[in-house]
Amino acid sequence: MRIALSLTLALLPLLAATTASASSDKTFDQQVPAQPRGVVEISNVSGSIQVSGWERNDVSVHAELDAGVERVDVSSDGGRTTIKVIVAHSSSDGGEARLQVKIPKDSELNVSAVNADLTSSGVLGVQHLSAVSGNITAELGGADGELKTVSGDLRLKAHGLPARLHVSTVSGDVYLEHGAGDLEASTVNGTLILSLDGARSVRARTTAGDVRFEGKLTRGATLEASTVSGDLNVRASAEGGYAYEVSSFSGDITDCFNASPERVSKYGPGSRLEGTRGEGAGHLRLKTMSGDVQLCDRP
Amino acid sequence: MTGPTDTNGRTVASLRELPQSIEPARDLWPGIESQLTALPAQDSAQGAGPGYRRALRLRWLAAAAMLSCLAVGIWIGRSLLPGAAVGHLPPSTASRSTVPGLAPTALDAAYVSDPRYERQRRALVRALQERLAVLPPPARAKVTASLAAIEKAKKDLEGALGQDPGNALLQELLINTYQDEMRVLTDVHEASDSGRGI
Repeated sequence: MRIALSLTLALLPLLAATTASASSDKTFDQQVPAQPRGVVEISNVSGSIQVSGWERNDVSVHAELDAGVERVDVSSDGGRTTIKVIVAHSSSDGGEARLQVKIPKDSELNVSAVNADLTSSGVLGVQHLSAVSGNITAELGGADGELKTVSGDLRLKAHGLPARLHVSTVSGDVYLEHGAGDLEASTVNGTLILSLDGARSVRARTTAGDVRFEGKLTRGATLEASTVSGDLNVRASAEGGYAYEVSSFSGDITDCFNASPERVSKYGPGSRLEGTRGEGAGHLRLKTMSGDVQLCDRP
Repeated sequence: MTGPTDTNGRTVASLRELPQSIEPARDLWPGIESQLTALPAQDSAQGAGPGYRRALRLRWLAAAAMLSCLAVGIWIGRSLLPGAAVGHLPPSTASRSTVPGLAPTALDAAYVSDPRYERQRRALVRALQERLAVLPPPARAKVTASLAAIEKAKKDLEGALGQDPGNALLQELLINTYQDEMRVLTDVHEASDSGRGI
């Protein structure tokens, strides 16, 4: 028993070294000058992409590349910097590249990935991030953003600065913290968990997933959420209050201010809750076919 | 901007606040009756004048419009509804049973009658299997599950609409679901393109 243990311990460093060698065959480093408010475009098929904003007017690229990766092309021309991972055609597994990119913090960032996770932090410019099967984690600095993934999740952290955000995933979840401004969020069968500090306009839609909204609406704001079979849980306060219309075909409607839903038809299913909180300056519409709806006028 | 007001000048916030009926200020029937009795005399005096010819032309236009509607209805029935000639469908469409939920139903024709939409949708559905094959297997499984969720939602909504055809809530949710289906098909299309293009 002791001999087996000793042998295992002796082999561990060798195993670790082999694994490290297999996971990263070569590294790549390059730095190019860039404009402070230029555009940075990054594309990668597989692996990961981490982008962070910094104070310098340079774009720095560090990459760990698998054998299947042929090269990384970095070019900078007229305020546009492009970073592209080129995979060898003969590669059977596609080749992973793990990119760490630093860009001037006010840059516009466009990232496109297939099977790679994307992370951005400290970038204050507009962000267009898209992935097919990777997750997207982004820090949003008050500029507009369009974030899209097919089967991955979206985890977004904003700082309560108004911006226009368009986030969508087909089968993933969306988590948004401290958003503000205009938001359009959608998923088919994932969950939308949205927390906004000052929303002007919110449109949230799922087919079979739940929607959870918590936060504050600005004066005169609109919030629309709909789902076919998911549940809607909205806890929203608003300066100037709001008029609300809640409809469900076969789900239950409950609220925290003791209003009673009314039946839509004497003979068929369907219930509706309508009324006003405060001055009724804003508008809130919640719709579902078979899901339940919970509405509260305080977060 | 001010909202609509009722007869007393009050702002109307809901249809329910409007009066159910409004009585005219005076009895209008005597005037209507006198005009009706005067009409036959006018007609016989004018004979086949310009008014008569205009009425005749309107009748022909109405008949032509009815025939056009009938032709469009037959075309929808033959090309879009279930049971439409299978030979007209592309082979990939006929054999797409492994992809959940993309068979057109009777309500598709009712809600989605824009030919451009229908053409785009058909093209996307035809290419779907090929596009799904390009995706990584875990993503493919998730997207297939999402398409199945959309299909189930469509069926549930159509079933509920079958019981309550005039339900505006269900109609709106069904249209949303068609839009979501289109978005997913487009996203899958673009996603497989990006996989090839990078």
